[in-house]
Amino acid sequence: MSAVLTIDNLYKRFPIAGSKQVVQAINGVSLTIEPGETLGLVGESGSGKTTVGRCIVGLIEPTAGTIRFRGKDLAQRHQHKSELGGKIQFVFQEPNESLDPRMKIGDTISEPLLPLKYDRETRRRRTADALRLVRLDPDLLDAYPSELSSGQQQRVGIARAMVTEPELVVLDEPTSALDPTARAEIIDLLRRIQRERNTAYLFISHDLSTVRFISHRVAVMYLGMIVEQGSAETVFNRPQHPYSSGLLSSVMLPHPHLKIESTVSLKGEIPSPINLPKGCFLASRCPFVIDRCRHEMPPAETVGERHTVHCFRHSDVAATVPASDTFNVFMKEAERILGRAKPGGLASSLQ
Amino acid sequence: MGAAEVISKTENVSGDAGKAPLIDIRNLRITFPSGGAEPKTVLKGINLSVQPGEIVGLVGESGAGKTTLARSILGVPPAPGRIAAGEVHFEGRQILSLSEAELRRLRGRRLSVVVPNPRAELNPLRKVGDQIASMAKIHLNVSRKEARRMALQMLRDVQIPDPERRMDAYPHELSGGMAQRVVIAMALICNPAFVISDDATSGLDVTVQAQILALLAKLAAEHGSAMLFITRDVGITAHFCDRIAVLFSGEIVEIAPREALFLEPAHPYTLMLLAAFSHSPKLRDSWSVPETARRRELAAGCQYADRCPIAQAVCRTHRPPFAEVSPGHFARCHFPVRHA
Repeated sequence: MSAVLTIDNLYKRFPIAGSKQVVQAINGVSLTIEPGETLGLVGESGSGKTTVGRCIVGLIEPTAGTIRFRGKDLAQRHQHKSELGGKIQFVFQEPNESLDPRMKIGDTISEPLLPLKYDRETRRRRTADALRLVRLDPDLLDAYPSELSSGQQQRVGIARAMVTEPELVVLDEPTSALDPTARAEIIDLLRRIQRERNTAYLFISHDLSTVRFISHRVAVMYLGMIVEQGSAETVFNRPQHPYSSGLLSSVMLPHPHLKIESTVSLKGEIPSPINLPKGCFLASRCPFVIDRCRHEMPPAETVGERHTVHCFRHSDVAATVPASDTFNVFMKEAERILGRAKPGGLASSLQ
Repeated sequence: MGAAEVISKTENVSGDAGKAPLIDIRNLRITFPSGGAEPKTVLKGINLSVQPGEIVGLVGESGAGKTTLARSILGVPPAPGRIAAGEVHFEGRQILSLSEAELRRLRGRRLSVVVPNPRAELNPLRKVGDQIASMAKIHLNVSRKEARRMALQMLRDVQIPDPERRMDAYPHELSGGMAQRVVIAMALICNPAFVISDDATSGLDVTVQAQILALLAKLAAEHGSAMLFITRDVGITAHFCDRIAVLFSGEIVEIAPREALFLEPAHPYTLMLLAAFSHSPKLRDSWSVPETARRRELAAGCQYADRCPIAQAVCRTHRPPFAEVSPGHFARCHFPVRHA
């Protein structure tokens, strides 16, 4: 088994201009992604999800720690340029902001091929393939982004990422700017591409319902740390970190009777990532807090197969938080309600 | 003219037809000038009423007309929109015929709105305590000291930690969640009878959003205020609202008590929305038509016909009735969906 991506003890600090203080954006993140696997990275804004993604694609330089792609240290990214070329790609949140408004769709999609020194004919063929892959009409090659719906724009963003046939794609909130229907279509598209090409995804999102559906494994971030990491099923159905449980209980599914049960009700707001507290970062909001949490950072403990959690009281959390499979219950309910629905007879006086 | 007559004429739908609604929106039409001779109709005759103490959800995708509705209820449609027709009755007055000065007295005092971008709403140069207090001072005619006392109590009610100190904070010193709480405090300090929340929680983190929603519901219950809760997030309404109206293309296509809307949805558009959350491509395919076949607005007939998988010939030629599928549950559809 060889991982596509291995991150080991990653740190990122941002200096604050005119101050000696730093923003502690990432505080010791470790994770792996296997080929063809989706790792969902969830957490609230400011938790460091996007910073992790940006470090992977080289948009920002980590302060410490290593990121390896197929075993190669990305700190020496330029030395592996020919092997890495186009193997890691990125899809952004706002499709209308990430596409150049003055560039035709075809040029936008083929742009990542330029540094890879393909001839014109290969570029043309690859661009056409990418367009087909995302099910966009070839007529759109000459269109400008403003002529497209936001769902179509995000398909362009995905085609642009896929055109180099990457092994890993970092997707940063790719569906959060979209309406429910367009979102569902993009998720289907990403899953289909993964099946066809065995592409690995880092899927960054605060939309837990989508993450539950698309991810094989999930990592829950809080203040720059992955507080819990495991299979999507385990983390969602039986969370062992109080933050995972609190985060899950805030999900509101469109069904009046389905609420994710939790004994964890998080108080207050996320502390500032400047001057983080000494012990566990959740201590000030956590109902499970004990004195030790305020002085000592809980280490990562392995509690199951590829399942780790940073909490002294994880077994107490697991014991009090009821195991639930609410997302699956919801999907079954949706099937029951929508599957049996039939058009009724003519309602008006036109009868 | 009796109230019942008005209700039947305007197809008005309220949670309890026996009681007088707190706010009653009748046949509201908003138009925007377009390049051509015909202005574009953005709200196509909205009828909606809210009972005292009731929380009504209004859901719709972007561009459906949610914010236009929120602003128009207050008599200020977003520019260059124009109120082409309709009435909004509130506490015995027709809001849309009031003068600017009368409207100003009403807004913030009896009717208030919470917007999604708190930072844009707050004055960056004034302490938040003063901003909240000035709402009370202007509208309730209380002393400066009393207004400050009320503002402090309001900061406690919206559960801002360390409220005495926060009174003297400037907006930039607050997190987004805190600023949103301040805006809620401003909206509620005069104890308004009706609150419009226009996507007010969408920018917040989910754990904070859950707290703010609980707070809004608690404050509304304590103050006896009614609320129109406008959101893109259908999921919230399933847990937060008593009744839900679904807005599509400037028109309410379905309105129902919470249970009925989610367990027995009747309009194909509502079914499509719910199917999008099911993560089942099979269900989605059966309740939607591909994007390529859409986006042609019809002059006659049903607005949704081109996107509707069960549309028939009549849907393209005749505007559907607002059919009552069960008590208090209406769908604007020729063939409202049945649940076996």
